[in-house]
Amino acid sequence: MNASAKKRIGPLLLIAPAAILLGVFLVLPYLNIVVMSFRMPGQGTPYGPGFTFGNYGKFFSDFFYVQQVINTLWIGFLTTFICLVLGYPVAWQLARGASAFRAFGYALVLSPLLVGIVIRSYGWTILLGNNGIINRTLTGWGLIDGPLPLMYNALGIIIALVHVFLPFMILPIMSAIQGIDPSLESAARSLGASKVTSFRRITLPLSLPGIQAGCILVFVLSLSAYVTPSLIGGLRVKTMAVTVVDALIDTFQWPFGSALALMLSVTGAIVVVIFGRLTVMKWKA
Amino acid sequence: MSKPFFTVYCLIIYAFLLAPIAVVVIASFNAGAFLTFPPQGLSFRWYVVFFNNEVFMRAIRTSLWIAALTMVISGIIGTMAAMFYVTHAGKLKETVRVAMLAPLLLPEVLTAISLLFFVYSVGLGTQNLVGMIVGHVLITLPFVFINVSASMESYDPAWSLAAQSLGAGRFTRFRRIMLPLIKPGVIGGCLFAFIISFDIFTISFMLKGVGMSTLPIQLFDYLRTNFTPEAAAVSTCSIVLTMAVVVISEKVLGLRIHRF
Repeated sequence: MNASAKKRIGPLLLIAPAAILLGVFLVLPYLNIVVMSFRMPGQGTPYGPGFTFGNYGKFFSDFFYVQQVINTLWIGFLTTFICLVLGYPVAWQLARGASAFRAFGYALVLSPLLVGIVIRSYGWTILLGNNGIINRTLTGWGLIDGPLPLMYNALGIIIALVHVFLPFMILPIMSAIQGIDPSLESAARSLGASKVTSFRRITLPLSLPGIQAGCILVFVLSLSAYVTPSLIGGLRVKTMAVTVVDALIDTFQWPFGSALALMLSVTGAIVVVIFGRLTVMKWKA
Repeated sequence: MSKPFFTVYCLIIYAFLLAPIAVVVIASFNAGAFLTFPPQGLSFRWYVVFFNNEVFMRAIRTSLWIAALTMVISGIIGTMAAMFYVTHAGKLKETVRVAMLAPLLLPEVLTAISLLFFVYSVGLGTQNLVGMIVGHVLITLPFVFINVSASMESYDPAWSLAAQSLGAGRFTRFRRIMLPLIKPGVIGGCLFAFIISFDIFTISFMLKGVGMSTLPIQLFDYLRTNFTPEAAAVSTCSIVLTMAVVVISEKVLGLRIHRF
């Protein structure tokens, strides 16, 4: 090997382990799951010989699964929307507020990310359960007679998901607002624009990329969330991710489980692309 | 919006973010047999139960082992990739970055499922830790990559060239020039990989071997059927452990960990 070839190959050795890892254990498995979704269901084995479209046929012919995808998308949509409404003012405060408050707030927004998802969902079961803190307090004050149904339904799942994913909405919006030159806002104010107008015409449009990134992140994460819907929703309300994992772990229907997982991912991706197109159009307009 | 109103609003959101975590910590000191609020007196009773529960202790040991192994493997592979990204990637820079962040952008549940099928199909089996550790390395790799490449932002290739012209070999240049510069990023990235790995649920849940479990899995199983404050004691210990790692790295070692 001559010197120049050696010089070219040397650096490639740095990236080789990562490339092999991602190629073998990420790309190949994702291709494999597509193939798996066309396999025959097995008898006593995870999958049988031969290929079929039957797994997708089963999905579309059973309204239960279609309905579940719609429910999951709806829960994801509501979670994203609530995160945006709750998170935007906080992101603004973190980007533009008084500096003492900022460091404190930043640490508070990041700290939930360091606590495991099982523990955070568990905290919500303590708060939301029929004998949970919220219901007991309200009953104790005489405001309600029986416990409010806060858990084992979509409401509880959405509350907990908003909590889990709120930091993922706040952080991208925060960095988008930080990137806006403050003199633009002062210019608008000096030209007579009210605070509201300057926010509506300057800050909000310029922070749209952050909003877009945050919304996509939260939406995708809430579609694929497993732990929170499983612990809060219990057996009564199941999102698609819970059904898929149960189909794989409990009943070993690998081909059908793959088809379900891919249908959810594809519909999720379509929603994200449409949302991306819409927000870009609005941004240009 | 007026200013005081705005501040109060933010404080409410912060309280909302902390509430479920605070509740778990408070519940762990409950003296009673059930989760009631306010607690029926304070005690360490459930910590004693937890420390004597061999199932949980074994799960903690497994989690620590996996996190340590993941940290080392992910740290080495991620650091090498970050070095390539900063100094040699050239036109491929954006491709390398997207590829390295891919495990973070793909839904974890889909990655877990596809990895389970793959590991089973190629006969690695689920009787050992290989599948699980590969999964943990995939998920933690982006964090090492982000931290190391961020620490190399100010790196000037001229320094390496200067050392080379003075006769330093490839390894000496790495050890004397590159490593001291990227050390904070490597340590920060590794510690963060450790924390993330310690908390990973979905990947571990799908790829766990028969009869073995990590702490999050054990806790999840326990919560499906039990409601005693023991789970709160377990959770509090886990929270304290991760917080300790962060505080030590940021306050004692003075590192700035990049989480995104």
